[in-house]
Amino acid sequence: MQGALTGVKVLEVAAWTFVPAAGAVLADWGADVIKVEHPVMGDPQRGLRAMGLIPGGDDAINYIIEQPNRGKRSIGLDISTEHGRRLLYQLVEQSDVFLTSFLPDVRQKLQVDVEHIRAINPRIVYARGTGQGPKGPDAGKGGYDGASYWARGGVSDALTPACAEYPIGGRAAFGDLAGGMAIAGGIAAALFQREKTGVAPVIDVSLLGLAMWVLSPDVVASGLYGGDPMPKFDHKTAANPLVGHYRTKDDRYVTLMLLQSDRFFPELCEHVGRPELITDERFADGLARFTNCIELVATLDEIFASRTLAEWMEALATMKGVWAPVQKAAELVNDPQVAANGYLSTVSLDGKDFDLVASPVQMDEMPVQLSPAPEHGQHTEEILLELGIEWDEIAEGKASGAVL
Amino acid sequence: MELKPGTKLRSDVCETQVIVVRAPAEDVALGCGGAPLIAADTEPTGTPDPALSDGTLIGKRYAEEELGLELLCTRGGTGTLTANGAVLTIKGAKPLPSSD
Repeated sequence: MQGALTGVKVLEVAAWTFVPAAGAVLADWGADVIKVEHPVMGDPQRGLRAMGLIPGGDDAINYIIEQPNRGKRSIGLDISTEHGRRLLYQLVEQSDVFLTSFLPDVRQKLQVDVEHIRAINPRIVYARGTGQGPKGPDAGKGGYDGASYWARGGVSDALTPACAEYPIGGRAAFGDLAGGMAIAGGIAAALFQREKTGVAPVIDVSLLGLAMWVLSPDVVASGLYGGDPMPKFDHKTAANPLVGHYRTKDDRYVTLMLLQSDRFFPELCEHVGRPELITDERFADGLARFTNCIELVATLDEIFASRTLAEWMEALATMKGVWAPVQKAAELVNDPQVAANGYLSTVSLDGKDFDLVASPVQMDEMPVQLSPAPEHGQHTEEILLELGIEWDEIAEGKASGAVL
Repeated sequence: MELKPGTKLRSDVCETQVIVVRAPAEDVALGCGGAPLIAADTEPTGTPDPALSDGTLIGKRYAEEELGLELLCTRGGTGTLTANGAVLTIKGAKPLPSSD
C-alpha cells in the first residue's frame, strides 16, 4: 500500500516474531519487504504448532505467522550456499534496509554481518534485534521474549502478585511485538539520517533494553530509593479509591482512573446513582477519602456489585472522568472505537476472511489496509526475475537446493 | 505438452492459474479438474469433474518430485491439479520438528 516508506526496500533475514514484526510495521508504512526463508525449513515460526497455539490443526490459518508477516513477500534461499548468498547479495545491492535477528556468530558464518553487507551496499541501514544487546558478556547468546524481556528484564516480577505461586508469564510475543515497533522507529530515523547526511547508522534494539524502557518508572525509583519502592496498594486500602478495579454483578470489572479525585468524585456519585455521597463528610475531599479509604472502597464495591458490566457501561457513558471496562481480547472487535479508527483490517486467505491488527501508527488518519502473510517462499521466482535472473539460473538453484 | 519454466497456464474448467517453476525434460500431461491445462490467455470452457474438485490455493506450490515438476499457483480455483493423471500435492515448508 501507499505510505511514508513507499519505495523503500527492506530485506529481512530473521525468524520468530520480534524482528519480523519490525518488517510488518515497515510494510504497513508502505515499504517493499522481502522475507528471506530457508528453502526447506522456512521461518521456524511456521512450525510453531505443537504447543497447541493453533487450535484449528495443521490446515488452520497460522495466526502467529500471519500477524508479524502480513504484507511481505517471501523468497526461499539457502544463504549458507554460495549460490544462495550470491543471490542474497544481489538483493542487498538494491535494498535500503537489512533487518536481522540472527546471532552474531551465525551472521559471521553466513557472511551477512555488518561488514559484509556494508561492503556491498554502504548506504544500507543495518538493523539488528537482539536479546541482550550487541555488547557485554551475553551479546552472543540467544534471547526470546519470555527470557530476555519478560524474565530478565524484570517485567514478570513487577507484575506478579505476592500471592502467586509462580511468576506471571507473558502473552504470546508480548515484548516481541512492542520491540518490532521500536526497531521500525529506529529504522525510520536512520533512513532520515541517511537522506540528510548520506551515512546510514547501524540500528540495535534488544528485548532487555525494551523491558527496561517499559519498566523505567520502577527501575528509576529503585535506583533512587532502593529496593522495591513502587507502592503496591491492596484493593481495599487504595490511597485514592477512585483509581482501581471494581467487580460487577456479572463478575466483570470496571476500572476507574479518576486521578483528580476532588474534581471527579461528585460526578462519579451522580453517575452511580448515589448523589448523597457527595456531601458525606467521610468522603468530603481527597484527604478524607484517603483516611476513610476502607469505607469508601467497601461502598464502591457494593455499588458496582449491584449492576452488570453492560449496565455500568450505559450508566457511565456520559461521565467525563476516565474509566474503562476491563475487556477481553475477543471483545475488542466489537469496540466501537476499534471500528471507527480501523484498528483491525480484514484479510482473505484460502477462502477464509479474518482480522489482523494494524500497527498503531496512523498517518493522516488513514487506517492501514493489510494483506495476508506470504506462503513459504511464495514470491521466490517473481523476486529473482525482478533481479534479472534468468529461468535457467533459477532452475539450477532449484536443482542444487540453493533456491526453493 | 513440453514445459518450460516461466510458462503460464490456466485451468479450462475453473479459475486456477499456475506458472511452471520447475519443468521436467520429458513431456507431461498437466490437468486441472479433469481437463488439460490451457494457455493463460484463453478462456475456460467447461466445468470441473466433481471427483477432481479439491481446489487450488494461491501462493501454494504443487509438485511431483519424481517428475521434477513444480507449479506455483497464481490464482486459486476449484479444480484439482494433476500430472499424467496423478494428483499433485502441495509442497510446504518442512519446519524443524523441534521448533517448539
